[in-house]
Amino acid sequence: MNARERFNAVMHYQPRDRSPIMDFGFWDETLVVWQEQGLPKGIDADRYFGMDPQWITAPVNVHLQPGFEWRVLEDRGDTQIVVDNEGVTKEQGKFLGSIPRHISHTLVDRSTWQNEFKWRLDGSAGPRLPQNWADYVARHSDTNRTYPLGVNAGSLYGWIRNWMGLEAVSMLVFDDRALFDEMVETVADCIVETLSRALASNIQFDYALMWEDMCYRAGPLLSPRVFGETLVPHYRRITGLLKQHGVDVVVIDCDGDITRLLPLWLEGGVNTMFPLEAGVWNADPVAYREKWGKDLLMIGGVGKRMLASSHDAITAEVERLAPLVEAGGYIPTPDHRVPPDVPLANYIHYLNEARRVWGRGLPNLELMQTEVQACTQDDVDKFSWHLG
Amino acid sequence: MTEHPLYIAVLDGDARGARAAVEEALNAGADPQDLLSSYMIPAMDEVGKRFDDGEYFVPELLIAARAMKSGLELLRPLLAETGAKPVGTVIVGTVRGDLHDIGKNLVASMLEGGGFKVIDLGVDVAPEKFTAAINEHHPDILAMSALLTTTMPGMKTTIDVLKQDGLRDSVKIMIGGAPVTRRYATEIGADAFSESASGAVREAKSLLKL
Repeated sequence: MNARERFNAVMHYQPRDRSPIMDFGFWDETLVVWQEQGLPKGIDADRYFGMDPQWITAPVNVHLQPGFEWRVLEDRGDTQIVVDNEGVTKEQGKFLGSIPRHISHTLVDRSTWQNEFKWRLDGSAGPRLPQNWADYVARHSDTNRTYPLGVNAGSLYGWIRNWMGLEAVSMLVFDDRALFDEMVETVADCIVETLSRALASNIQFDYALMWEDMCYRAGPLLSPRVFGETLVPHYRRITGLLKQHGVDVVVIDCDGDITRLLPLWLEGGVNTMFPLEAGVWNADPVAYREKWGKDLLMIGGVGKRMLASSHDAITAEVERLAPLVEAGGYIPTPDHRVPPDVPLANYIHYLNEARRVWGRGLPNLELMQTEVQACTQDDVDKFSWHLG
Repeated sequence: MTEHPLYIAVLDGDARGARAAVEEALNAGADPQDLLSSYMIPAMDEVGKRFDDGEYFVPELLIAARAMKSGLELLRPLLAETGAKPVGTVIVGTVRGDLHDIGKNLVASMLEGGGFKVIDLGVDVAPEKFTAAINEHHPDILAMSALLTTTMPGMKTTIDVLKQDGLRDSVKIMIGGAPVTRRYATEIGADAFSESASGAVREAKSLLKL
């Protein structure tokens, strides 16, 4: 069974050889700290850690086109002030240890929306698909493709929140609801129009990936009422289109406590929650499955705080999640990028336990790494990307 | 109280309505302190309660805080004339290495809405900057925020510096942020912890026995 077959089998509750072994990535600092703990420099972490091919998405642009010109306004030593591709002036660490601090936004009102943003969201204009799209399609339409391929299906709130800032978009919902609704609809139109072109190709995508990050420890940043009225109908348009083209796994990437929005996403056809941040609110994929049943697909749910604790705790958590992994519709991964306070030895232990319990006899990671280091690139592929 | 237009305007996040209600009440001879303590602060208390109950969300908090501020702009000069004092002074800031300010700003807004004077030191605040501000402003409470597990230890570092400088007992310390727990607050010797902006107001009042 190759990685694509395995991914599709688990997401459709079908028989499979084992669970995919996947991750969410690492903070930049983590790999530096781990190098002090023995991680070789210059490695491809995914391959080194023996991940199944993961998070490969087609180069379909449903975002601002063109984006704003990225430029550095000021260097402040450890940080710099930049204008990013979304027209946001922000202070960010040169070493990306913290979320950037927004200073000002280009999108502030109806006028800036009309003049600076709306035209960048015309799905029929601009290079939304790459110039070599035909070649890309030819290479990826092979029905024997061995890895799951996704398509980016955008964001209905998270992008607008980025463009305006949380406070401004929150005020907008009350001060000019019509404009907020228009923004969401315009973004959705752009996504639908662009996806229509991409989906008309011969590529059979395995999943679609959306991003919102619209929850925090106390729940959603937007009321479920407004979410239901304004966002859900457009989720339906997008997921309906995807389903017409055989894409029935729609992943939403949203940190924070998603409990209040989860049923509304399901109502909108967004059926795969990721990364199920355990957080201090103790979200639990086992409890989610009990509450929402098999309509809910999940990726994530392995607490990063737990990974920083002890080997015994890690083993216990891997064992606890095993029945859910076995039941299907769920791929365990760390619930966000692994932070630097997780010792490399803990992470290796986690992966070895994951490979032993969920991976059904995948070789021990240290053993595999020993072999990989002595091998050619083809052997790396054979060992770490195409097991089974 | 709950039928007073000022109370309703703050609760509904109606900034213009709050300002108009204050103007009208002042023209009718109302006492500025009474408007604040009888209608505006209770309205913000109710906003916090509705947030805790899952009826209000961040946008509702923000527009209520904005309505509160629009009314306070008219009241502040009058309150200063009468010598009225805030219920307490709070220094807020995000700890060193952390540029995140959304949660901190929300807490600051809610504290102001709760009648506190807030001195906001911003983000990436070094322990020495916190101690300098404490020496300058003599606050009742120091409120620290952190978004990341990697920056959270900055809270403990700051408390340690306060101890070294002999300032720890001069101020109550409250912490919050995505990764922060009550257990962590206890571990590092903070006096209070809150998991939400509305809870921060409640904790601040509790610390000052209000």
